[in-house]
Amino acid sequence: MNKIAKLFITFISALTLTLTSITSSFAKVEGDMIVLGSAISLTGKYSSNGVHTQNGYNMAVDRINSMGGVKVGGKSYKFEIIYYDDESNPKRAAQLAERLIKQDGVHYMLGPYSSGLTKAIAPVTEKYKIPMVEANGASRSLFTKGYKYLFAVLSPANQYLEVAIDLAVEKNGGKGVKIAQAFEQDAFSQDVRLGILDAAKRTGSKIIIDDKLPKELNDMAATLAKVKATKPDVLVVSGHTKGALTAIRQISEMKVDVPMLAMTHCDAAKLSKQHGKKSEYALCASQWHKNLSYKDKFFGGGKKYDKDFKKEFGYAPPYQSAESSAALLVFKDAFERANSFDRDKVRDALKATDMQTFYGNIKFGPGGQNVAKPMILFQVRCKGDTCENKVVAPTKWASDKFFHPIPKWSERG
Amino acid sequence: MEKVKQKDLILYSGLIILGLAAPYLFSAFKVQLTYLCVLIVLAMTWNLQGGEMGYNSFGNILFYGLGMYLTASVQVGMFFPLAEWTESGGEKTFVHTTAQYFQGIGVGLLVAAIIPALVAGAIGYAILGLRGHYFAICTLGLGIAAGEIAGGIEIIGAGQGFTTPPFPAEIVDPEARGKFFYFTSFIVLVLAFIFVKYIYGSRFRLILNAIRDNEDKAEAMGIQTMKYKIVGWMVSAFFCGLAGGIMGGLIGYIDSTDVAFDGREMGVFMVLMAILGGKGTLWGPIIGATLFHFFKEGLWTFILGWQYVALGVLIVVIVIYFPEGLMGWLREKYPERFGEVIDEKDRKSQVELK
Repeated sequence: MNKIAKLFITFISALTLTLTSITSSFAKVEGDMIVLGSAISLTGKYSSNGVHTQNGYNMAVDRINSMGGVKVGGKSYKFEIIYYDDESNPKRAAQLAERLIKQDGVHYMLGPYSSGLTKAIAPVTEKYKIPMVEANGASRSLFTKGYKYLFAVLSPANQYLEVAIDLAVEKNGGKGVKIAQAFEQDAFSQDVRLGILDAAKRTGSKIIIDDKLPKELNDMAATLAKVKATKPDVLVVSGHTKGALTAIRQISEMKVDVPMLAMTHCDAAKLSKQHGKKSEYALCASQWHKNLSYKDKFFGGGKKYDKDFKKEFGYAPPYQSAESSAALLVFKDAFERANSFDRDKVRDALKATDMQTFYGNIKFGPGGQNVAKPMILFQVRCKGDTCENKVVAPTKWASDKFFHPIPKWSERG
Repeated sequence: MEKVKQKDLILYSGLIILGLAAPYLFSAFKVQLTYLCVLIVLAMTWNLQGGEMGYNSFGNILFYGLGMYLTASVQVGMFFPLAEWTESGGEKTFVHTTAQYFQGIGVGLLVAAIIPALVAGAIGYAILGLRGHYFAICTLGLGIAAGEIAGGIEIIGAGQGFTTPPFPAEIVDPEARGKFFYFTSFIVLVLAFIFVKYIYGSRFRLILNAIRDNEDKAEAMGIQTMKYKIVGWMVSAFFCGLAGGIMGGLIGYIDSTDVAFDGREMGVFMVLMAILGGKGTLWGPIIGATLFHFFKEGLWTFILGWQYVALGVLIVVIVIYFPEGLMGWLREKYPERFGEVIDEKDRKSQVELK
């Protein structure tokens, strides 16, 4: 035993030495760098959206840095982001947030992807009074906890598809509709569900199917079989990227006829590219669309952002990227208005944000959510074999008319 | 009670001092240290089944998750209506006072230890009759099922997840939270170690080993194997529940499948750590968990996006080069250091026989 004990002690003391020699080498502001930290899902079930988020952040960092950086106290600073991979796991995300703050000395955070992970990180940033601007945590319960250092540039999740129900009721001559819905078991989708429940109550609609789908959604045939049997007026599906892809794949395979199909994450899933005509007529909730007329001096407008993003990353930016870029613009604006790196001053400046970006107007409500920007709905429409997302609601930005009802599969070419 | 040897005494007091000083020495690493304590507890208690009893359980994650949900539920439920707390989008915000917070988590941890142990007793009674692969698969299913079921129970947040009470705001020291969770986990670790160490010196361990080596023979010898198997599992469940309760409070957010019943990560890690260090030994799981944690924390960030490939490689290396774990490997190399007497003559004669 004693030899083992000695070995063990040697091992421990060696570790002690190495650990103590690693002191935080980063600081909040180093030279002319403002260091931001972010845990991002580079692997795991949110990896594709995690990458969209990261690309959005990187694009904004490059753009802001190349256009003069952030001016604080008469000096120009550049943004830099430390990334960690949270593996799409809230446990890991909370741990990494702690690590970013305590070991890497980060004083300002950017949000992760998804509501669940944001929920795990927010208590940590709150504890250390670290301002966090997040662009991908939409769950309403994030904004009812009284967090003071959390700011979200996006609209809360319950607003995502409410409009779709209103549209369906309108098409039904103002009478309530029959709703079938299927939602993934995660914080975000469940919030979208709550929005639908509210809307159903408000419009006197009836929910005839209310299914919960497992995470890592790969199969929803059971729900679709029920839809086939009960013939609802609207089918609502939310389950991040995989949910959108699975829904379209199986709806087309099973030839499920439903007059209206409302979803989330169509653009992140590149539905119109991946499934082409099969995805036609799907109605999608989005935080942003390139055709909206918002503007700022860094990215110009939505169309220009779309073009620049495509040039840099080779695909059209989903709204997850756009909102992530917007988060950096908010930070830059707040630093300049605070004219200081004092965390509380930056936090107060964030609180007072009232600006327009290419992504939309940004103004934070008391809970930290963005109250200045409405959600939009687009519909996938095809011409020949090329399909595109066309904005159909709200009417202010609608480029196309809402097509209703969806033709039966037997009539579709 | 056997006399504690002087060398051991030095070792233990050294480790305890190190454990107590660690959060001050490495202030920035408190959360990782807490994780380490929890990982060691999980590996050590898994070893009771997998190592000593020969029952490879993938279901210990069930007790871990159960403990997590129980602690949080009790902590909230003692003072506020639980349903309103977890109700998504609820506009009400409840705030625990300092006293409420600690009372809640104290009682919560107690419940989180006892109930999983009882559950283990009940489930054990039903499934510990299964052996080998059948037991492994059955327990694997338990963990997965628990996650899916928890994801459907509204009162604990269902798919929305459950935000555990934030650390009381009245305590202004930002380090206090880290210290609190570290010391709680360290106490659990010490308790678990003392308990496991006690088991190692008792007849109980011999019975578990007998079950592992030949269950039928053990039964034929008049040992009520079922009873011992259940008690063994209950001990594991007790500490897994505690570990889960601490982790729930530390992470601050419980998700049914990703945090609580996280069989894919924690459930696999606890097995991996025990095997890495050497199952069926007292120190193996501890060393395994420590190495694994350092490997994970150290290497993970340098190979962003490739961590799981590295983990896979690690598993392959362990299985090929250290099938008995580090302790097993050391034991084979230096058997005399493990108190094994080798009869050189006998060994030689065996060699010569060939």
